[in-house]
Amino acid sequence: MLIKCPHCGTRPVEEFTFLGDADVKRPATTDPSSMDQWFDYVYLRDNPKGRFNEYVHHSGGCRAWLVITRDTQTHEVFGCVTARDWAKKQGAVR
Amino acid sequence: MLSTAHRLSPLSDAAIQGRFGAEKGQPGVTLSVRHPVSIVTVMVRKGKAKAFSATLKEACGFNAPAPCQSLSGKRAAIHWCGADQYYVVAAGMAEGTLYRELKESLAGLASCVDQSHGRVIIQIAGPKVRNVLAKGTPVDLHPLVFGPGQCAVTQMAHVGVHLAHVGTDGFELSVFRGFSESFWEWLTEQSEEFGYQIG
Amino acid sequence: MTAFRLARGGRIDRNTSLGFKFDGKGFSGHAGDTLASALIANGVHLMGRSFKYHRPRGVISAGASEPNALVELREGGRKEANTRATMIELYDGLVANSQNRWPSLDVDFGAINSLASSIFVAGFYYKTFMWPKSFWEKIYEPMIRRAAGLGAAAREPDPDKYEKAYAHCELLVIGSGPAGLMAALTAARSGGRVVLADEGSALGGSLLFENEEIGGLPGHDWAQGVIAELEGMANVTLMPRTTVFGWYDGNVFGAVERVNDHVLAPSPYEPRQRYWRIVAKKAVLAAGAEERPVAFGGNDVPGVMLASAMRHYANRHAAAAGKSVAVFTNNDSGYRTARDMKAQGGHVEVIIDSRKDAKADAAGVPVIRNGVVVNVKGGRGVSGIELADHRHIPCDALAMSGGWSPIVNLACHRGAKPRWDARIAGFVPPDVGGAFTAAGSAAGKMLLSEALSDGATHGTLKGRVPAIPKCRDEAFALTPLWWVKESTGKAFIDYQNDATAKDLPLAAREGYKDIELAKRYTTAGMATDQGKLGNVNAIAILAEATGQTIEQVGTTTFRPYYTPVSFGAFAGPFGGHHFQPVRKTPLHDWADELGAVFVETGLWMRSSWFSQEGEDWLASASREVITTRAGVGICDVSTLGKIDVQGKDAGVFLDRLYCNTFSTLAIGKARYGLMLREDGIVFDDGTTSRLADDQFLMTTTTANAARVMSHMEFCHQALWPDLDVQYVSVTEQWAQMAVAGPLARATLQKIVDGLVLNDETFPYLAAKEISVLGGIPARLFRISFSGEHAYELAVPADYGNMAARAIMQAGDSFGIVPYGVEALSIMRVEKGHVAGSELNGTTTASDLGMAKMMSAKKDYIGRMMAGREGLLDKNRQCVVGIRPVDVSDRLRSGSHLLKKGDPPSMANDQGYVTSVAWSPMLNMWLGMALLANGRERHGEIVKVFDGLRDIHMYAEICDPMHFDRENKRLHA
Repeated sequence: MLIKCPHCGTRPVEEFTFLGDADVKRPATTDPSSMDQWFDYVYLRDNPKGRFNEYVHHSGGCRAWLVITRDTQTHEVFGCVTARDWAKKQGAVR
Repeated sequence: MLSTAHRLSPLSDAAIQGRFGAEKGQPGVTLSVRHPVSIVTVMVRKGKAKAFSATLKEACGFNAPAPCQSLSGKRAAIHWCGADQYYVVAAGMAEGTLYRELKESLAGLASCVDQSHGRVIIQIAGPKVRNVLAKGTPVDLHPLVFGPGQCAVTQMAHVGVHLAHVGTDGFELSVFRGFSESFWEWLTEQSEEFGYQIG
Repeated sequence: MTAFRLARGGRIDRNTSLGFKFDGKGFSGHAGDTLASALIANGVHLMGRSFKYHRPRGVISAGASEPNALVELREGGRKEANTRATMIELYDGLVANSQNRWPSLDVDFGAINSLASSIFVAGFYYKTFMWPKSFWEKIYEPMIRRAAGLGAAAREPDPDKYEKAYAHCELLVIGSGPAGLMAALTAARSGGRVVLADEGSALGGSLLFENEEIGGLPGHDWAQGVIAELEGMANVTLMPRTTVFGWYDGNVFGAVERVNDHVLAPSPYEPRQRYWRIVAKKAVLAAGAEERPVAFGGNDVPGVMLASAMRHYANRHAAAAGKSVAVFTNNDSGYRTARDMKAQGGHVEVIIDSRKDAKADAAGVPVIRNGVVVNVKGGRGVSGIELADHRHIPCDALAMSGGWSPIVNLACHRGAKPRWDARIAGFVPPDVGGAFTAAGSAAGKMLLSEALSDGATHGTLKGRVPAIPKCRDEAFALTPLWWVKESTGKAFIDYQNDATAKDLPLAAREGYKDIELAKRYTTAGMATDQGKLGNVNAIAILAEATGQTIEQVGTTTFRPYYTPVSFGAFAGPFGGHHFQPVRKTPLHDWADELGAVFVETGLWMRSSWFSQEGEDWLASASREVITTRAGVGICDVSTLGKIDVQGKDAGVFLDRLYCNTFSTLAIGKARYGLMLREDGIVFDDGTTSRLADDQFLMTTTTANAARVMSHMEFCHQALWPDLDVQYVSVTEQWAQMAVAGPLARATLQKIVDGLVLNDETFPYLAAKEISVLGGIPARLFRISFSGEHAYELAVPADYGNMAARAIMQAGDSFGIVPYGVEALSIMRVEKGHVAGSELNGTTTASDLGMAKMMSAKKDYIGRMMAGREGLLDKNRQCVVGIRPVDVSDRLRSGSHLLKKGDPPSMANDQGYVTSVAWSPMLNMWLGMALLANGRERHGEIVKVFDGLRDIHMYAEICDPMHFDRENKRLHA
């Protein structure tokens, strides 16, 4: 599998480390009533067949955390943005 | 009094001058260690990219390079090495001087960290240099794709490498010091079939 | 000249004779021969014994699909089992041995299996060896393994080198026959970066052996012209002897180049094989088509071979398969063999064509239309054939053709299934998008003109498709014939696995109707050749047996590797001491000079203990501890992760990473920190110092350094991108040494520049940038892992050995000793400091006795989940000290703890010993343990149970700090 790092260009998957679902968002609260949100954030993960946004780390390259959109069945990569930009976009949507 | 002459390269025992590997005509590659050298990691502070680049131009004679690019001035060269991160490299400077100068001139604009001892720079050049490097890096180094002034952060033989194309047919490979001996051994073995010179 | 070497022709160098040995017997061949062609030229047809029945077998094909002629090539550490004789280029001194026979190929006792063949039908393993169950492991399996086998692996280490490499191109062409050459030429002429790979020893594909005419030239000459043009182009890389074995995501292809398999031994500077990853913008599959056998009685007798193979040997290698041959075909291409054999001066007895309406030109050879072969006479070689009408025809070789199967494998490696094409009665590649297309006969286009134009079309990267040279087409028409049911002898579908045509209807009757199940039940299509020859026959026979169409049955799954790849190629250069890179500290040479024994910690080599005459490791470590605690010791701690953290928000960032607070830390001070994972479990620990208002120096454990760095990057970039913080690893920049013991200060005083070390200028937890030895920049920290009055001194790495030697000299009069990680570990257990065994991914801050460190005033990673009910349970296992009741007992880590009097059981388990050490200070084994509700149980006597070593003993639970409980030594 090849991933096009926004900084480094196209690199093979061996240079990357996968973390998982990028559609989870760390709760902004420490209120005790938010425990359910925290459980969801820490433990609940979707495992879809098809399109999936996931965190990958360009650990063997520029060390940027990225979010790739990938088809989990065909491994086709539709896009890749930095986690930094993803976080900004996520913040804007919510 | 301390001088950089007291610095001991981790490759001082391994990089012995001479001709090695296959004996067919000119050596396929020539290898050498750039030592002693000053290396400073410069990381741009938040929101200061423009001011940083301008100040750098004043201090060193070059702007901040674009991703995967290197620039060189009279006293130093600068290599992109990650988002908002650069290596500034210079030879012939006293211990800590480059670091102190950069820290002073870039105060408030960038965080500077001396890495002069933490990384080892290996120079490799010659007609077979791309054949040797292709045994390690997945980066396409074809001259049309990766010309002089390009650089990349990649992995070779399981070791993180900052790879920069300097001059017309030369490359600099910068690795963590602790891996340098192991990496050197691998690199010279990959060069054997073409014959190599350590100079 | 050997008996079966044709007098003229062939692309062999008759002036170069090469001597080789097969089964110990000497033979001679020529440059340009394969092992198979050289054996044929020497009249040797018997090249192996079959897997199950030990039937005599000869070569069937002339290429990669060969199922029978598998040999052990070379000897000693270079021996390679199951190597196809058809792919081995002959070299002088070659040694090969046949396999799966005992005592010899000619006399094989295993052939008795053939007499008992009724029990060896499909599924015989499952049917025969079912019971008694206890027999399987000890009797049946070893027996089967001995009887039914392939070659034996080498016992000695492989002396040769292997390499890995990457290649990049705009067009990868796989196969160098007419379509492949045309594709490569077209792309290359338009300036594209082209890689042309072919598994053969020479480029040219079918043009190396077929008689064709292209552009007014003999096909072979046309090919040589194209190859010469390609060779002269800088944008083209020609890769003969290179098998593209797999197609992967992103249009990445795996290939193995046999750099030096065709020589006696590689040069010491060159690899035997090179494993390539080829990244191709576009690729063309021009691998050609594979001729199929027909299933008829005795179709495995040595001397029966594919029609194309017979003419391949004759035309390319000038090796005649027989003196009087017959041809059995269901299609027009079989006639080419008759024509070529005749043209080479051979005798062709007859062509048996299964078609009623065969119209092909037989060039004067008698043709029996509507005929089928039902049996082949002869044991170790063909003596004649029998037809369905009982006619007997004498001959010494039989060419067979059941039609052609496009080589679709690579196109199916990513999951797409091939498509059935009734026109050619073969599967053709699926449409997998424009980045990987098939051309020529690999795409089912069986005519030469189609192959050339298809190649040109698929090789066009830009602009118009160029004109193609004129050529003469050979007829291609067939009427499928899969299995001659009237066969009187065994009709094999899969030679390598001894699967017969009858096995498939049997499998279907027994319920294995799905092709994937039938494959496993009959073993047809398994093993090293993966059924390249017989799979389509098997599918067709299963289709008939189950009343389905061939399309409905479909194929089994195609997976890499197209042909077997050696382990050496996979390992590449990363074997032996290159298995993983070695990471050395800047103090390695210093430690080495002093007799350090090194231990691998991750990739790092750390000094474990410093051996002296007559000492074992424990004696060395004990001496190092005693001397350090009595005077002064020095230890290399360079491997601890060091991260320089800067920026306006550096303090805030650290507050969010650690459960305790760093933003309040004074400049010039160090503080211990504990980092949690988001699930509330402890992740890492270490001291962090504040060097300036906006600069901190973090340390991590050696083991977690890389993980902590990735974690920080994630937290910053993905969670809090608004923070103004920068950080970089400085682990490698600094050589760091711990100097510990009551005389540590006096020792260091001798090397620091212009600084008086005392409790005012340098109190406990001070952290300052200083200089040593007349100008070496340094960082000095007053921190202690040993419990002694101790410092850590860091100097730039290139000065490390120099500084360590200077400290040794400074401490010489105090009896300074270097100590390693063993002594370090003893001292930390004596002091009850937690380390990796306690920070083991199951413990919370509270379990480690550090609940108070968790700040309630801020959010930080792990804060919320650390407050979960289960993690606050009073009965959780927490860290305690443990010491044996009988001081002569030895504690073992991993031992379980039980209440006194309880028998060992899961239900009674109370915890376990995490760390142990022999304490030279207290003269006994000490330990740390995780014990349920442990903090409330100090003073309790527990049972220590080690089921592995059968140890039962009693021990007392105590405070983890075994030694110097008042911490007086820290401030001494």
